[in-house]
Amino acid sequence: MTWIQNSVTQLLQIASSGNTKLQVAITIGLLLLLFGSFLLALVFSQKKRLQYQKDMQVLREAQQNQLIESAVRSEEVERHRIAETLHDEVGAILSSAKLHIQAINPLCLEGRDKELHDRGKQLLDEGIQKVRGISHNLHSSILKEFGLNEAIRHFMNNTIQGTVIKANAELDDSYTTLNAENDISIYRMIQELLNNIIKHANPDQIIVSSKFENNDLLIVIWHNGKGLSHQEFEALRYRKEGLGLKNIQNRVILLKGHIFFSSEPEGYQVKIHIPIKSPET
Amino acid sequence: MHVYKLLKDWLEVWALIIPISVLLFKPKQPFVHRPIIIYLFLALVFNTAANIIWKTSYLYELPKWLESNNYIYNLHAVVRFYLFAWFFTLIDRKTYPIVKKLIPLLFTLFLIINFIWAEDFFFFDKLSNRLHAVEAGLLLIYSLMFYWSKLQFEHISITKSEGFWVVTGLAIFVLTSFPIYLYYELSLRENIEIAIDLWQVQKVAFLLFCIFIAKAFYDMDSKQRHAIITNS
Repeated sequence: MTWIQNSVTQLLQIASSGNTKLQVAITIGLLLLLFGSFLLALVFSQKKRLQYQKDMQVLREAQQNQLIESAVRSEEVERHRIAETLHDEVGAILSSAKLHIQAINPLCLEGRDKELHDRGKQLLDEGIQKVRGISHNLHSSILKEFGLNEAIRHFMNNTIQGTVIKANAELDDSYTTLNAENDISIYRMIQELLNNIIKHANPDQIIVSSKFENNDLLIVIWHNGKGLSHQEFEALRYRKEGLGLKNIQNRVILLKGHIFFSSEPEGYQVKIHIPIKSPET
Repeated sequence: MHVYKLLKDWLEVWALIIPISVLLFKPKQPFVHRPIIIYLFLALVFNTAANIIWKTSYLYELPKWLESNNYIYNLHAVVRFYLFAWFFTLIDRKTYPIVKKLIPLLFTLFLIINFIWAEDFFFFDKLSNRLHAVEAGLLLIYSLMFYWSKLQFEHISITKSEGFWVVTGLAIFVLTSFPIYLYYELSLRENIEIAIDLWQVQKVAFLLFCIFIAKAFYDMDSKQRHAIITNS
């Protein structure tokens, strides 16, 4: 402490000595020292504050991801429950009804009664098929058994069947499932997008293609109907009625991927880019 | 020794070449740098003129108005203040808008009062240390307001924020100049050699100021900035 006292005393002596040159030099030195300290304190305090904000942001994102994950998982559980109920209960009732109808001897029926019996049997067959179709879509059992590519192909065949739309699936078969949970999300997104395209875009042709490279999966859905631009997608996903688009966005966030809607010269395309990681990583 | 003296004497001129030459490599600068670019070219004209007058006034028989360069330094200070006031307004329009409008008004008021009643703008014997001290003080207030607003509102690191290097260079320059101008008249009365030495210190601060401006120009990545001069 003595050297500080000595320095201050010396400075005071210089200040009162009338040596202008030294007085100015000391004033400049002190001002620059003060400014330097102020600047350093400013930079460090701001750095600390920014780090805190960054940590909070990471925490918020983690919480948001957890919420999305639990919402997506519970939706999947609910789909499974409905699929099982449809298959095991409604399907069983319909099959039983079919057995009962089949037990009726058609030879005993004549005219209008025979016509009603045949029509009833036909409707029951259609009902059983529909229930099975819905149940399979909801359950994603093909996805679990045969993988993502086969599930997409199967879904496209089932959905496009009976329409005038020409559909092609050009999928990269080098892709192998590393995380089944993620595959369900990818499959649900494609389901939702294809359903939307068929329902709203009125296309003649749909092409679903994929490319798997360096642990990155790129899925491109192209169609020649009236699609969405990325701005339209951004606007629609915040609307109440845009639940499907919101779900797609949530799944993209969950998979830490990107989705981009664009207008091409001959149609529209949706690009989904997903980094593929095994569950441990 | 001759080269050193030459460099020392013409420091205020060649220091300005540093940021101007950076502009040749990085011509696309944001709109907020426009006042600084204008300042650099005007300062080059002022300082060259001031140095030529200084070096030739005692060698040749010149008209009365060319015998002293003090009014050029006065003019330089006035131009610098207004251009940097414009720069501080451009760099952040949201914070302290009233104060930023009020400071140039106060400076204008000071100019009118000082040069009508107290001093002569074209006084030949000495430059207006009062004008320079007020200018330095007000620019220092602008600089401190810039730092304060960055501390309060900015969400990116202050060293990466637009204007940091220019403002820091300016702050160092005005902090060094302020006491020099305050003591300038006293040192002239005491010993002219002291005034000359102090002026050399101010020149070094000016060199630092120019280097900081050059750094700001150099750091500018034109691809990432949208408000570039060519588009504005």
